[in-house]
Amino acid sequence: MKTTSPVGKSVPRIDARQKVTGEATYVFDLKFPGMLVGKMLRSPHAHARIVKIDTSKAEKLPGVRAVVTAEDTPKIKFGSNEYFFPYTVDQYPLEFEKVRYIGDEIAAVAAVDEATAEQALSLIDVQYEVLPAVFDAVAAMKPGAPQIHAARNNIGVMLPVCFGDPDRALRESDYVHEDVFVLPSAAHAALEPHVCIGQYEVSTDRITLWSSTQAPFKIREAMAKTLKMQEADIRVIKLNVGGGFGGKLEMFPMDFCACLLSKKCGGAPVKMMCTRQEVFSCTRRKHPMIYKLKSGVKKDGTLMAITGEVIADGGAYCSYGPTVIAAGIMRFMMVYQLKNIRLFGSRVYTNNSISGAIRGFGGVQSGFAIESHMDMLARGIGMDPVEFRLKNTTDPNTLTINKMIISSNGLKDCIRKAAEISGWREKYGAKKETSPGVLRGIGIGIAADVMGSKMYKSHESAGSIIKVEEDGSVYLFTGAADTGQGSDTAMAQIAAHELGVAYERIRIKAADTEITPFDTGSFASRVTFISGNATKNAATDAKRQILEVVAQELKLGVQDLDIEDEQVVNKKSGKMLLSFDQAVVLCYSFNYGRLIIGRGSYNPKTTPIDFRTGEGNISGSYGFEAQIAEVEVDTKTGRVKVLKMYDVHDIGYPINPASVHGQIEGSIVMGLGYTLYEDLKFKEGRVVNPSFSKYRIPRSTEMIPIESVFIETNDPQGPFGAKGMGEASLLPTAAAIANAIYDAVGVQIKDLPITPQKVLAALKDIKNKKQE
Amino acid sequence: MKTVTLDVNGKVFCLDVPDGELLIETLRDRLGLLGTKYSCLEGDCGVCTVLADGKNVLSCLMLTVEAEGRKIMTIEGLTQGSSLHPIQQAFIDEGAVQCGFCTPGMVLASKSLLDRCPLPTKEEIAHALDGNLCRCTGYVRIINAVLSAAQKMKKTS
Repeated sequence: MKTTSPVGKSVPRIDARQKVTGEATYVFDLKFPGMLVGKMLRSPHAHARIVKIDTSKAEKLPGVRAVVTAEDTPKIKFGSNEYFFPYTVDQYPLEFEKVRYIGDEIAAVAAVDEATAEQALSLIDVQYEVLPAVFDAVAAMKPGAPQIHAARNNIGVMLPVCFGDPDRALRESDYVHEDVFVLPSAAHAALEPHVCIGQYEVSTDRITLWSSTQAPFKIREAMAKTLKMQEADIRVIKLNVGGGFGGKLEMFPMDFCACLLSKKCGGAPVKMMCTRQEVFSCTRRKHPMIYKLKSGVKKDGTLMAITGEVIADGGAYCSYGPTVIAAGIMRFMMVYQLKNIRLFGSRVYTNNSISGAIRGFGGVQSGFAIESHMDMLARGIGMDPVEFRLKNTTDPNTLTINKMIISSNGLKDCIRKAAEISGWREKYGAKKETSPGVLRGIGIGIAADVMGSKMYKSHESAGSIIKVEEDGSVYLFTGAADTGQGSDTAMAQIAAHELGVAYERIRIKAADTEITPFDTGSFASRVTFISGNATKNAATDAKRQILEVVAQELKLGVQDLDIEDEQVVNKKSGKMLLSFDQAVVLCYSFNYGRLIIGRGSYNPKTTPIDFRTGEGNISGSYGFEAQIAEVEVDTKTGRVKVLKMYDVHDIGYPINPASVHGQIEGSIVMGLGYTLYEDLKFKEGRVVNPSFSKYRIPRSTEMIPIESVFIETNDPQGPFGAKGMGEASLLPTAAAIANAIYDAVGVQIKDLPITPQKVLAALKDIKNKKQE
Repeated sequence: MKTVTLDVNGKVFCLDVPDGELLIETLRDRLGLLGTKYSCLEGDCGVCTVLADGKNVLSCLMLTVEAEGRKIMTIEGLTQGSSLHPIQQAFIDEGAVQCGFCTPGMVLASKSLLDRCPLPTKEEIAHALDGNLCRCTGYVRIINAVLSAAQKMKKTS
């Protein structure tokens, strides 16, 4: 079977066959001769000074091959937003002065088996001097709170944003509303736990790390820095990754330790895997956030100003703190035309586990706050929420007040279409009691998303190489890291389409720092847009090389030739001149001997957010969407049932429609979990629900009908008009559901998750108020 | 240590295993059947699902010695040569595969369902897959794939 011109078609995933047969290899599946099992020693205290670490007993245990502590390391800190935010570099791969959360890494062991490794951990004697700890972000900001790092008032990252004259705009508003929204932590809950294998090669002093990661080049950079090695001496290889969602976007101490232990053992490979409990408790989690908002509108619906404060519990280290706080604020200006805005964002250190990137960065939290808040503003002036949004949302070719350059923008079309397909006009405000005490409601939320973010490195380039072999086979080398979202497939489709060959011809080699070109990784919905452009450019280059030979041979102008559907064609006459295979044979023939190696890279025109002003065009383009939820609320039990979600998404152009729908459906169901029950709970810094039985994620029985529609804006920068879209569908879900609950029963729940207890309490509240 | 005779994917193996060895360990470490995925080891996620006498079981909760006398099928046993089982093909065609980590377990749990209930409703499928978690797809396409496989299998039978 041949699929020519594959872009825009739902071709089967390039890796699907291996995955359904069980042949797909994940890091845990690798086994090498002499391989050892590594384990991390983690702090049992939330905050303590390390007085002494004695590893001698552990080292003597039979079967133990190596123990490492900070004394075996160069003691160099790393961070994830290092380039633009050097002050956020705050974590040692192994701590030696202090521990700052329950789970902080202090030492690691390598042993012949897991039981021995675990026993060895118990034999490491660490003396601590326990320090007072703080677990609440607001408390941590108060004078006299325990000092976790050197940051004043424990505020690790500050983002003050002020444009226009918000105070005046509020005074001139006809209606002003104040709200406080509270967002809990959540877990990525990727099914494959964090796992890696480190191997040191003694003869070359080089390291190979196989890691379940979304960003192999980022790990390489952090490893080189913290091990004081050259990046070229570290090879990071990504295999299949069993889900990431932002939770595998950094170097983890286990990556570092697997390599260091291997070196100390004389080169034996060391495998490390997190237990499920460790994944929940000691990797990364969603930033719990508080949004205090005060905004004003005119009677005609004009949004005058948004003001307020955003406080994020960052946990023990900074991780992607700057990106998260920026994402939690900047989206306001992507979505709404704002002339007056003042928001003060603080990411605060606490002694909870480390908050970091998770699908949407801070966008999910901000999406709930702003979209609930907007509904309440609309309500205050008696305006339909859909009309209110149509009046205030951004347009195409807009320069936002903070200098974001929005080119294609289908947001208003998304809103209109969502209203149309959901029957908004008939349903909104029409309270329907479906059975005694059970009421139906409808609600909307909208969102915008980036496709890339210039927050981590001086550039955010990606590269691809395409080689066409003598037998006509096409190899694509890309740095893009597929973690299940389907980027390998999208890259193959783009390469095949641009080169003019069938999708089935493409063999892909991805995300190996020694073999493939650089790529910053799978985050910020950037891969289709940035790596896709790089791949398209590589294919254009390979095609040019082939056509130059054909043009020379046939004495035609190269500009008159193209390759389409496996044929070299004359663009003017439309005549087929020779097949792709014949053209390749010609390239490699006696007279030409021309090897076809195309290369491409792409660096979007972006600028980082200036954290003094809030200005910056962080993305090469922006994606938009509208989501509408229909719910049923049982007023006797407080139970909310989501009946259907409608999602209309400006995706530019869908490279693979089935994959795009799959991203949207997966996001919505993930959002459904966060809205109704997901809540990573802490008690004195300890995660109290670190298992799938205690931390509930959506199950198949909770699947809801989803109607997903694309708005094709054909982005001028995107490859074949495509935009990134892997995160945006998670952003408005919670607010759409919360607003639908209001429509059904007249209560606005402002803290997630929306449990039956909260709904019942809110219903009781309004009943009491009515009686007063 | 116990000597057990295991029937896995139609082949018989005679193995000496410790009393406490889990079926997942035997399948992966001794027989090299790596399609059975390894995740929570607490019976919570379903990625280690295999079939025992046609019924889906969690290989992280079953001792190898308990598997003796039962026909075990792993994902590797479902493929006949190079031709895929209709459920596998439907997972590909319907776009039900993303990261793939839950896929082998999902496919086997689906087989267990279709073997006892050849034309299930969406609700029956959802119910049957309730023990198999997926964080990528939102289950929409997985359920569609099982429906479509059921219809195709009905036509060919």
